Amino acid sequence: MADESVLRPDLSLVLERITDGFFALDAQWRFAYMNAEARKLLHAREEFLGVFWLDAFPKARGRLFEREYRRAMRDQRPVQFVEYSQTANRWFEVKAYPSPDGLSVYFRDVTARIEAQQEVERTARRQQALIDFGRSALAGGDHELLVADAIELVREALDAQAIELFRYDRSTGAFTVSSALGWEAGTAVAWDRPPLEHLRYAVETGEPFVSSDVRIDARARSLAVLASAGVLSCVCVPIGTTNDPLGALVAYHPKARTVSALDVRFVEAIAQTLAESERAMASNRRTAQVLDSIRDAFVAADRDLRITYVNARMAAFWKGAPLDFIGRPIEHFTAQFHDDGVAYRRIKQALEEDRPLTFEIPFNERWYEARLYPFSDGVAAYVRDVTRRKTEQQRMVALNVELEHRVAERTKQLELANKELESFSYSVSHDLRAPLRAIDGFSQALVEDYHDLLDEQGRNYIDRVRKAAQRMADLIDALLGLSRVARATITFSDIDVSEIAQEIAADLREGEPEREVTFEIEPGLRARGEAGLIHAVFANLMGNAWKFTRRAAHPTIRVGRLPGGEFFVADNGAGFDMAYGNKLFGAFQRLHATDEYEGTGIGLATVARIVRRHGGNIRAEGAVGAGASFFFTLPVAEDPSETR
Amino acid sequence: MSSKPYILLVEDNPDDVELTRRAFAKNHIANEIVVLNDGAQAVDFLFNAGRDGRQLPQVILLDLKLPKISGLEVLERIRGDQRTCFIPTVILTSSKQDEDLLAGYRLGVNSYVRKPVDFNEFVEAVRQVGLYWLVLNEVPPTTAGGANS
Repeated sequence: MADESVLRPDLSLVLERITDGFFALDAQWRFAYMNAEARKLLHAREEFLGVFWLDAFPKARGRLFEREYRRAMRDQRPVQFVEYSQTANRWFEVKAYPSPDGLSVYFRDVTARIEAQQEVERTARRQQALIDFGRSALAGGDHELLVADAIELVREALDAQAIELFRYDRSTGAFTVSSALGWEAGTAVAWDRPPLEHLRYAVETGEPFVSSDVRIDARARSLAVLASAGVLSCVCVPIGTTNDPLGALVAYHPKARTVSALDVRFVEAIAQTLAESERAMASNRRTAQVLDSIRDAFVAADRDLRITYVNARMAAFWKGAPLDFIGRPIEHFTAQFHDDGVAYRRIKQALEEDRPLTFEIPFNERWYEARLYPFSDGVAAYVRDVTRRKTEQQRMVALNVELEHRVAERTKQLELANKELESFSYSVSHDLRAPLRAIDGFSQALVEDYHDLLDEQGRNYIDRVRKAAQRMADLIDALLGLSRVARATITFSDIDVSEIAQEIAADLREGEPEREVTFEIEPGLRARGEAGLIHAVFANLMGNAWKFTRRAAHPTIRVGRLPGGEFFVADNGAGFDMAYGNKLFGAFQRLHATDEYEGTGIGLATVARIVRRHGGNIRAEGAVGAGASFFFTLPVAEDPSETR
Repeated sequence: MSSKPYILLVEDNPDDVELTRRAFAKNHIANEIVVLNDGAQAVDFLFNAGRDGRQLPQVILLDLKLPKISGLEVLERIRGDQRTCFIPTVILTSSKQDEDLLAGYRLGVNSYVRKPVDFNEFVEAVRQVGLYWLVLNEVPPTTAGGANS
């Protein structure tokens, strides 16, 4: 078209007025024209005219500007692009139209549009990053990796120079760096007096601390020291809550700048996720500690019966490292029991029936108890060594068997002893009497056949021999009676005690009709017991009373029952000295000389034994010359008015 | 049938034998008393060759505690055999154990007498036993006939 006077003045007027920047380069890439808007945008001066364009704007070298312009000239086709101008610090949309004489370039400032676009993209990216981050935190992976991710995310999002993660110890108020990125010369706490005011602020208020220029921040003057490390602004957000502060996350930036609310919220979201992960981790750690500390072995499996957790004890039990078990079928390990799959089937059963189960397994010569607890996601099993309990149990069972055996043995021995006792008393009754009969019989024969050869003294002696024999026979009978009481089985029936007492009184009177004895027998006395034995009680006691009242002036024998329930047989005869009262009920114990009052000394022993065998007690009261009273209890018959 | 009715005393204690003889004598019971000293002799006498063709006794006085075969067993044999089952048999013993009394009566003893220690009482007991079984009591006709057939 034209040479250096390529633009006519009327055209240049138009170009000066358009709002786009415009310049023209000649065939040798020298500025031929530049309108006012272009000069303004590029901070250019008039002297550029005729200057090689890359000399005027060296920063364009190697960038899109250069590449696209060359392409346009080479191909002789217009080009259009958007590029960031480092000269102007703006984004330009450029259209370049080539001609053989040179290049016409129109461009305009699209910085606002591009930045808005970038902001949208950045926001979307961040959201995606946050979502990804949250997801990986939720998956419960390695917390350390999560921390590294968090730091990288924040560094990238805020274009930070350095990132620091502080752990806060609430009890001491101390901060320690747990992770850091970007510091070459060490961390913030490497200073003699480390700047901690921003950390304190975040932890105490739960709010983010944002300093746009650390050199002039009135809230945290200690931060000024950061400038020496090239940091001019920072964002510090708390991790955790004011109630449970865990630490703080800080991003340092080399420039003094205002940080957007969006950026701050991003960091806060990261910090919150970190806090949750840390809490979950702490909770998991506590759970694991609890499960490791319990004495039981513990294993959990999912619904497919793949192991999700084993504690240390369980791992040792199955001889492996805890991590080796995760994800593997539990059947691989229960196979160690060599129990034909019993344990495995019980686990399946607990899961299918959704109820706890307990069973015992022998393993390596010990006994274990497994308790299974199904839950929503699978089943948990506690395995405990119960060898001691088991052997104790077995010992107890063996002991019981042994004990029963011994009891049976002892019972047999007792039965045998009883039988022996019976045959003994049989022999006593039979064999001891025979010689007595001989003694008596032949003594009598002596008297009869050799009467003339014996004087009075001789006959007296023989008489004594016969009396002694008779007395021994009585003793034998009494002893037999006593032993019979001990062995008798007692059949309880209602007994009319008053009637029995009346019969006995009549017998006694008949035996010695010449005696005058008053009987006072309470009517209506009833008891429950073995009739023959109860009869023996009253016969003995009333017989004694009869005997010992022989020398009383007005012999009286009373039979009755006290209001308290004790039966009694009382007399006003010879009585006895209470000092010897305890001897009354022993066999062969006598308180009177034989020639004074006859008797075997076994009667009261028999009475006491009968009363005791009926579950009762007996006692005696008396005084020498003032009579004797015997009180005893017996099972009482039901009130006759009720049975009537 | 020519020989007189006699008493069979099964008793192992010679003292008791002597006293029993004396008691019979004192009561002027002159019947012969055949004494056997244990249960085996009694069984042999009653059922086998021991009797040597003699007729069966008029009454048997049987102690319970005997060597070899007990009195109760002898009684059981007596009652279990057609030839002897009607012979009046009296247990004459020291025992008055309930079991012995029950066993004796269960086996069909005719009488159970406990020997008293007092000799006078013993004489009285023997007198009554002898009087009753030898004089008062009538034996069934089959006894003699059955026993000697």
